[in-house]
Amino acid sequence: MSTSVDALGTTVKSQSRVRRVVTNQQFVLFVVLIALILFFASRNSLFFRVGEFSNLFTDFSGLVLIALAETYVIVAGGIDLAVGSTAAVSGVVAAGWIQPLVNHGVNQAVILLVGTLACAVVGALAGGLSALLITAFDLVPFVATLVTYSVGAGLALVISHGAPVGYNPGAIYWSASGIGMITWLVAIVLVVAVVLGVVLHLTVYGRYNFAIGSNEFAARAAGIAVRRHLISVYVLAGVLAGLTGMFFYIRSGSGAATTGVTNSANLVAIAAVVIGGASLTGGVGRWAGTMLGAAVLTVVSDGLIFINVPPTWIQVVVGALIAVAALLQSFRRRSRRVP
Amino acid sequence: MTIASERTPVLELRNITLHYGSVEALHDVSIKSYAGEVIGLVGDNGAGKSSLIKVISGVNTADSGEVIVDGVRRHWRSPHDSMAAGIETLYQDSGLAPDLSIGSNIFLGREKRRSGLLGRLGFVDQRAMEKEALEQLARVGITIPATQRTVSELSGGQRQAVAIGRAIAWAKHVIVLDEPTNHLGARQSAEVLNVIKSAREQGLSVIFISHSLPHVLEVTDRIIVLRLGRVVRDAPTGEFTVESLLGTITGLSESTGS
Repeated sequence: MSTSVDALGTTVKSQSRVRRVVTNQQFVLFVVLIALILFFASRNSLFFRVGEFSNLFTDFSGLVLIALAETYVIVAGGIDLAVGSTAAVSGVVAAGWIQPLVNHGVNQAVILLVGTLACAVVGALAGGLSALLITAFDLVPFVATLVTYSVGAGLALVISHGAPVGYNPGAIYWSASGIGMITWLVAIVLVVAVVLGVVLHLTVYGRYNFAIGSNEFAARAAGIAVRRHLISVYVLAGVLAGLTGMFFYIRSGSGAATTGVTNSANLVAIAAVVIGGASLTGGVGRWAGTMLGAAVLTVVSDGLIFINVPPTWIQVVVGALIAVAALLQSFRRRSRRVP
Repeated sequence: MTIASERTPVLELRNITLHYGSVEALHDVSIKSYAGEVIGLVGDNGAGKSSLIKVISGVNTADSGEVIVDGVRRHWRSPHDSMAAGIETLYQDSGLAPDLSIGSNIFLGREKRRSGLLGRLGFVDQRAMEKEALEQLARVGITIPATQRTVSELSGGQRQAVAIGRAIAWAKHVIVLDEPTNHLGARQSAEVLNVIKSAREQGLSVIFISHSLPHVLEVTDRIIVLRLGRVVRDAPTGEFTVESLLGTITGLSESTGS
């Protein structure tokens, strides 16, 4: 047993610690985030008001759950184009179901809990459709979730007739309550986000997610139930999208097919993940990266409006951010490549 | 090495047939492997080598035929079942998850969990895995500097060392190695062959698939030749030379075959 295979191959090119830190995507994003906040504040000191930070947290919360859903899916080697429309259809359906409770003056907590459950169920069904198309019919995730996206967006319009569904002023009132700049609504979203991070990076479930995205065959050969895991990931993404639908219902007191979550939301969520350093080929991604990516996108979108840049320009800036993030990632990959 | 045919084979395949759609990949294949024996499985591309090892490991399920481990007939529903039965498989070029650390790869599918409630909630004990991964690799004669490194940061030879180390460390009965010396230089290949020999000394049954006939002749006790999904020759290694083996593989020396 004295054989040593240690000498096999060449040694890995060593990297200076400084370079590792500087090219670390999370570190760069954190610096960018701080710089952006300081920039917007220098242009308009009102940016530092508590109220504005509260708005930032709220807008961040509307994005972060679908961005984390997308992180799970992308790390597992897939893509989900349906999170936005799933949020819309969940919100519309749940709004219709719980409106009778609102009309009968049922306790608001009960209404919101029932609504949350309804949204989660509708979201799970949407995610289940994607999962079915992918695992049973072997569609690639892009096509499968495009189907779910279309069905969801269409159903949301059909059910709502293009108009807001239901009206629940109590929900809007509750959505503003909280401590300081953190509303209860935001706090709940943040707790869910933290749980998702812990599961992704510290548990067996998260480990399997990375393994499948990194090398699906290796994962299967190692005895991991790949199909079952992928089903669960798309259902999870659907549920998180559904919860986002409920989030927008609570903020506006009604469900709408055009809550602003349908069309661009998928792409913004994917942008947050990519800016956060994940690889669309799977196996690579960090919770902290997505959180920071979502934060940067939120600050940019809100900040540009705050300094009177026309909203039409925001997408261009987002595009530039994605480009910079992608370039940074490719630079990092090249600098780490083994000779 | 003598092959005592009265001994119970540690792994036996009986009359295995496998189709991919209308293509017959394996036809009535029967093989036996014994503890402390290295079998060479050779054949041209498309001869059915990879299909056969996928039946052994449970990645594919045979259309007919039996898989018998230690005298007990088994049915694999997934690779997990074959692993649980003590059979480890090293797949050609694709057995590792490149984005995971070495330690995570060694424990892939067998993650160590934290103790207590956290473990029951599915929390992994990463530190223990990294530590034990080093020990496990060292036990089979492989020393790797730091197991926290991701596999994508390793050279081809180091990756292969990790993959072989994982397979040998977990195997209780049988280890299947698909082209383990592929893409390796002469010295690295020699080291892999040494690892195979030490696996035999540990009493494992080794099934070694390779295109490199000199490697097969050097390290195996018995050679099984597959052609077009059938076993065409199964004989002690001493009965072969590179030339006769090549002839049997290609079918050009049918007369010298058994």
